[in-house]
Amino acid sequence: MAPVLVLWLAMSLSGTWAVDKGNFKTCDQSAFCKRQRALKPGDSPYRALLETMELTNTRLTLQLINDNNKVRLLLELYRLQGNMTRVKINELKPLKPRFEVPDVLITEPSTEPLSLLSQDENGVVLSLGTESQRVIISARPFRLDIMEGPEVLMSLNSRGLLAFEHLRMRKDTQAEPEGEKKEEADPANQAEKEEEEKVDGMWEETFKSHSDSKPNGPSAISLDFSLPGVEHVYGIPEHADTLRLKTTDNGDPYRLYNLDVFQYELYNPMALYGAVPVMLAHKAQRTTGIFWLNAAETWVDISSNTAGKTVFGKMLDYVQGSSETPQTDVRWISESGIIDVFIMLGPTPKDVFSQYASLTGTQSFPPLAAVGYHQCRWNYNDQEDVASVDAGFDEHDIPYDYIWLDIEHTDGKRYFTWDSHKFASPKEMLQALEDKKRKMVAIVDPHIKVDSNYKIHNEIRNKGFYIKNKDGGDYEGWCWPGSAGYPDFTRPDMRAWWASMFAYDQYEGTAENLYTWNDMNEPSVFNGPEVTMHKDAVHGAWEHRDVHNLYGLYVQMATAEGQIQRSGGVERPFVLTRAFFAGSQRYGAVWTGDNAAEWDHLKVSIPMCLSLGLVGISFCGADVGGFFKSPSTELLVRWYQTGAYQPFFRAHAHLDTPRREPWLFGPENTALIRDVVRQRYTLLPYWYQQFYHAYRTGEPIMRPLWVEYPQDPATFALDDEFLIGKDLLVHPVTEEGARGVTAYLPGKDQVWFDVHTFQKHNGAQSLYIPVTMSSIPVFQRGGSIIPRKMRVRRSSSCMTHDPYTLYVALNLQRTAEGELYIDDGHTFNYEKKEFIHRRLSFAKNMLSSVNLATDAEFSTGSWIERIVILGASKPSKVTLKTADGQESQLEFDFDASMSVLTLRKPGVNAGLDWNVMLQ
Amino acid sequence: MHFHMIIVAVFWFGFVDSRKIRGISSSYKRFFRERKSFLCIDGSKIIPFEQVNDDYCDCEDGSDEPGTSACPQGRFYCTNLGFRPHYIPSSRVNDGICDCCDASDEYNSHAHCQNACWNLGQRERAYVEGQMRTLDEGLQLKQQLIEEGVLLWREKQAQLRELQQVAEDLQTKLEERRSRKQEADRLKEQTPRPPEAGDGRLFRGQNSTVTGTFKLLDSNKDGSITVDEVQAKVALVHDEERVLSEDEAVALLGGDHQMDLTTFQHTLWDILTNGGRVKIKDTHGAPGVGEDPPLKVADREWEATNLKKVEEAYDTVNMEISDLREKLAIDYGPDWEFLFLNSQCYKLKVYEYTYTLCPFNQVTQQSTAGTEVSLGRHRERGRVSTGCQDPTEGTARPATMPAFSSFFFFCCEDLIYN
Repeated sequence: MAPVLVLWLAMSLSGTWAVDKGNFKTCDQSAFCKRQRALKPGDSPYRALLETMELTNTRLTLQLINDNNKVRLLLELYRLQGNMTRVKINELKPLKPRFEVPDVLITEPSTEPLSLLSQDENGVVLSLGTESQRVIISARPFRLDIMEGPEVLMSLNSRGLLAFEHLRMRKDTQAEPEGEKKEEADPANQAEKEEEEKVDGMWEETFKSHSDSKPNGPSAISLDFSLPGVEHVYGIPEHADTLRLKTTDNGDPYRLYNLDVFQYELYNPMALYGAVPVMLAHKAQRTTGIFWLNAAETWVDISSNTAGKTVFGKMLDYVQGSSETPQTDVRWISESGIIDVFIMLGPTPKDVFSQYASLTGTQSFPPLAAVGYHQCRWNYNDQEDVASVDAGFDEHDIPYDYIWLDIEHTDGKRYFTWDSHKFASPKEMLQALEDKKRKMVAIVDPHIKVDSNYKIHNEIRNKGFYIKNKDGGDYEGWCWPGSAGYPDFTRPDMRAWWASMFAYDQYEGTAENLYTWNDMNEPSVFNGPEVTMHKDAVHGAWEHRDVHNLYGLYVQMATAEGQIQRSGGVERPFVLTRAFFAGSQRYGAVWTGDNAAEWDHLKVSIPMCLSLGLVGISFCGADVGGFFKSPSTELLVRWYQTGAYQPFFRAHAHLDTPRREPWLFGPENTALIRDVVRQRYTLLPYWYQQFYHAYRTGEPIMRPLWVEYPQDPATFALDDEFLIGKDLLVHPVTEEGARGVTAYLPGKDQVWFDVHTFQKHNGAQSLYIPVTMSSIPVFQRGGSIIPRKMRVRRSSSCMTHDPYTLYVALNLQRTAEGELYIDDGHTFNYEKKEFIHRRLSFAKNMLSSVNLATDAEFSTGSWIERIVILGASKPSKVTLKTADGQESQLEFDFDASMSVLTLRKPGVNAGLDWNVMLQ
Repeated sequence: MHFHMIIVAVFWFGFVDSRKIRGISSSYKRFFRERKSFLCIDGSKIIPFEQVNDDYCDCEDGSDEPGTSACPQGRFYCTNLGFRPHYIPSSRVNDGICDCCDASDEYNSHAHCQNACWNLGQRERAYVEGQMRTLDEGLQLKQQLIEEGVLLWREKQAQLRELQQVAEDLQTKLEERRSRKQEADRLKEQTPRPPEAGDGRLFRGQNSTVTGTFKLLDSNKDGSITVDEVQAKVALVHDEERVLSEDEAVALLGGDHQMDLTTFQHTLWDILTNGGRVKIKDTHGAPGVGEDPPLKVADREWEATNLKKVEEAYDTVNMEISDLREKLAIDYGPDWEFLFLNSQCYKLKVYEYTYTLCPFNQVTQQSTAGTEVSLGRHRERGRVSTGCQDPTEGTARPATMPAFSSFFFFCCEDLIYN
C-alpha cells in the first residue's frame, strides 16, 4: 500500500498515472549530494602520511591529511578471509563519534595477515596472500590500487573524489572572542567559513514544506572506485531499472534511500522501498564486488569510458589500435557515517556470493509452504470472505498455501488486534484453514496508533520506546491509523519487547498457522519529507539520518524473532517485508512493493528480483497482477505464468480494484491459471532444494544467465529471461499479444529440453519460440536431474508424503547430475542434521542415488514414483538395484519421437541408496 | 424383521467390499469386470489387472487409478452410505484431510477420519423434512397471498373503473360548464365597457386595490377591520339594505372579531372580489363598482369558479387513474403474489448501516450518522436498478456491504419456486 490519502490530490492534479516526482528529491535538491557531486575528478587533496603507518598481524593503519584544511583521517585496511579487503576511513579525531552500522555483519570478519612487500617515500606495497595479489598505497595524492599480477583489479580514489566532511562547530554560534582569534590564526577555518557561506544546506536544509535542522552540520562522505576492463555493473537495489546498471552522467545518480514511492515509475534511478549498497562488477575473466556499509542516504554515480560508444565505435578503436581499455568508474556518496568498504575480489560470481554471504549471511531457509502460492488482496473483508475464497480454491482445484489479510482486518489499524465485527473469531478462522493444511498471513506495520486505549501504544510510550523528534518528544507522524508513533527498532530492548508481542497469549486470536507481513517500514510517514521520517528525528545517540536505511531491516528482524520465540524456537518464521537493507535476507522475503497492472511492470519484475538475488536477497517476488489498476485478463494470466517461476509467488491487488481471484475470468483463463499454479507445485521439491542451497551458499535462486555463463558476453545484459538455480531457464512472455519470444539458450556444447514438449535445443543460440496463451517457455539444462512431485494437492503440506518423479535430462556426454533435499518442511531441525540430502547422478547408463550428508538423518515416506529420461535411447532391459542388494526389472515406456524414456514405478524410498541400470 | 434385513445388508456390502475396486461407483463396475487385464476407459491402452489401483498412473485418462492419488486428472468416488455419494478429485485421496464422510478417501494417511455419513444423512433428512414443511407452509402462504393479491387486484381494478366513471361524468360536467362560461363571456362582451375592463380586471383590481379596499373598510384607520366596521360597510349582494348580524360579520372576519391586512387579503378580499354573496355598500371606489351591473359580474365569476373547480376535480381524478394504472402495470408475478409487497418496507442492519428496501419503490442506505443515500429505484419489469454493484463507481456503499437487491431477488425466487 501507499499513502493514497496524502498523495491523492497531487496525483489528481497532475492527471497522469505515475509517481509525482516532485515529492522526491533529486541530487540537486539533496544538499550533500549537490555539494559532493560538484567535486569533479582531479588531484585529490588527500595525502597519506606514511610515517604514521602501523602494520600489525591483522591490519594496517595510516593517517591521511587533507592539504586544504589539514583535517586528518584514519585509514584502516584489513585483509579478510575469503579474498576480501576491507577499507575503513574515519576522522582521526572526530568532534563526536560518527555512526558505524551495527547488526548487519553476522560477525566481526576474520582477518588474514598482511605483509609489507616494499616501501618508499611514494608509497607502500602490501601482499594480499599468495595469489600475487597486492595493494599499493600511493602517498601523494593518496590512492589505493588492488593488483593481481600486472593487472589492476580496482583502484580507490584514483579520480580524487575522496571527500570527508569533518564534524565541526557551527561558526555563527561561536560568539566568544577566543573563537574569533582561533579563526584568524587558522586560515583553513577561514576558508571553511567562506565555504559555508557559499554553500547552503550545510546547517539547515528545506525540502517543500519540511525543514531539516541538521544540528551536526555537514557530515557527508564520498569515494570513487575505478574498475578497469569492466563494462557491466549490477546490483545496488532497489531500483525499477534494467539489470545492467546504466551510466549516470546525464542524469541523477542511483539513489539508495528507503522510500514509500506512490506509483513508482520504471527505468530510472529513483530510490524505492529498500536499499542494498552492494555492487557487482563483471567482465569475462573476473567478477568483483563493492559493499559500501553505510545506512544513510546514499547516491551512486556510474560512468564508463565506453558508454555511448557504438559497437562500430568500439570496433574502430580496436582497428585503430586504440589503447584505451574499457573502464567503469563508480562513486559513492553518503550523507553521514564513515567509509567502510568491503572489496570482494571474486574471481568468479559464485566466489563473490560466498564472500558477501560470509559478511551478511545467507537467505533464511523458509518453511516449504512459503514457497507455494500466496493469495492476497487489500482486503479480504471478513471471515466469511476468507472462507469463500478458500472454498473457491477447492472448487476450482487450484492449490494455495497462504491467504493474506491487509490492514483492514485490524481494529482501526491497531496492529496486533482484530476487527471485532469482521473477524470476530480469528482462531476459528485459522482452525478452518488449518483443517485444510493452509495458513494465513496478517499484516503488522511499524506505525503505532497514538491512542491511550491501545495497549501496544501505551506500553511503547511508557517504556520510552518511541523514536523521538528533534525536541525530545515522541515523534509523531501520519499514517494509516492517523496520528502514529514509530517504535525505535534500533534498540535491542525495543526489538525484544516487540518480539514478545507475537506470543500466543499476547497477540490474541493467533495460532501456529498465522504469519506476518511488515509493510510501510521504510518507514512511511505520510506527512513527512519524501513520505518518510524527518532526518533530525532521534534514535538515542544517533539521528534518523544515520540509521534510516536500517529501519526496515530491524522491523523484520524483530518480527521474525517474535515468530521464532512464540514456538519456543522450533518453527521457522515467515515474514514479508517491503523495506530492506544489506542482511535482510536473513529474516524472510521481500517484494517489489506497490507496482501496477501494466505490461512494463510485469517486465521489470524480472530485473528487479534478479538485482536483489545478486546481493543475497533471493526470496523476492512482485505482486502478481499488479497492485494498482486492474489487469487485462491476458496480463493477469501472463503474470501468473511469470510469477509461478519467481521465488516469492503472491497475487495482490489494491482495495479499489475489482476482485481478481483466479476463477473470475472465465473457465478458459481459470484453467490457464490453474495449470501454471500446478506447475509451481510440481516443482516445489526443486524450489525447496534451491532455497536450501541459497541458505547454504548465498547464491541467488533466481539468477541472471551471466552468473552461470560468465564468459559469454551475450548473457551479460539479458534481463528478460533468467535461471532458477542452474538447471531451469525461464523466458516468460511479457509482451501483450505475443506470438513468440526469442530466448537465448546459453552454453556451447550444451543442450536444453523444453519442459513441456521435451524437445531438445542446442545451446549458444537465440531460439524463436512460438507461443500461445498457455505457453511458458521453460527449459531444463541437459546434464541436470530435477525432482518433481506430480500429485498436486490442495496445499504443499498435503503433498509431504507424496512420491517423486525424477526428470533426468542428458547432456551430449549422456550424463546428468542433480540433488534431492528432504526435511520436515517447517522446523529448525534441519540445523540438527535432520534431513536427507542426496546426489543423483546419471553416467554410463546408470542412474544412482547416493547420500551427500552422511551425518544427517531423516526418514521420509516419499518414494520414487517415476523416472523420465530426456534424450535417452531405448534400452532392452532396466534393472533396479536397492541398498540391500536386491535386483528387479522395471517396466518402461519409450517415446522414440522425442527420445523420452519413462521408467515405471521404481518404488524405492527416496531416502535410500539405489541405482537403475539401463542395458 | 427390520433388524435382520439391516444385518443382511451389512453382510452383503461387506462381501462386495472385499472384491470391490476402490473409488468407483457401481455404474463403473462393468469396466473392471475382466480380472486379467484392464482397458483404459478411453480405450488408449491395455494394462495387466494388477496395475489397477497400484498407485501408479498408467492410463492417460486416469481410469486405472480410481482409488489412489496417482493420476492427475483422476476422480475418486465416495460411496458415503447413509448420505449422498459424490466424486472428489484424486488429489484429495490420502492427503490427510477427510473429504468423504465415510472416511474412504483416507485409507492410508495420518488423518483420523470418522464415518460421519449416518449423522450427516440424518441431519440432511431432517433438513429435507424441514424444507418440505417450509415448502408446504410457503405454498400455503403463497396461495393465501395469491388470493389476497387477486382480491386486491380486483379491488384496484374496480377502483380504476369507478374512477374512470367519475372521470367520464366530470368530463360531461366540464363540457357543460365550459359552454356556460362561454355563454357568460359572450354576454359580457356584448356589454359596452371601458377599455381597461375585461377578464384581467379582477386580477388587476386585486393587485391595485386590496390596500385601498382595506382602508375603505377600516373606518378608524387602526390597521384592522372590526365587526362594527364590517357591519357599517358590507352588505349582502341580494339584500343590500339589511345590516349584517354580528355573527355574519364575525363569519366574514374568518371567525374572529378583527382582521389585519394580511389576513384580509387572503380571506375577505377573496369573498368580495369573487363576487356572490356580499359587496361593499356605497360602492364608489370599491371593486366592481360602476362598470358591470353587480349581478352580471357575479354570474360570470360564479361560472368561472365552477369551471375551475370541475377542472381541478377532473385533473385529480385523471392523476389518480394514471397512478393506479402505473401500479397495475407492474409485474407482480403471474398470480399477483407479490402485490402485497407494494406498500411494504424492510430494514436490514449491517454494521453501522441500515438498509431499507421498499419493493417496487426504492432501496436506501442510512448510516448511524444519519446520512441517507439512495442505492437505486424501481425500474420497469420488476427489477431494482442499483448504482452500487461496482464499488469503484464511487458510491457510498463500502465494498464490504452485501448487495441488498440481490438478497431481495433471492427471496423472490424462493417465493416463486417454493
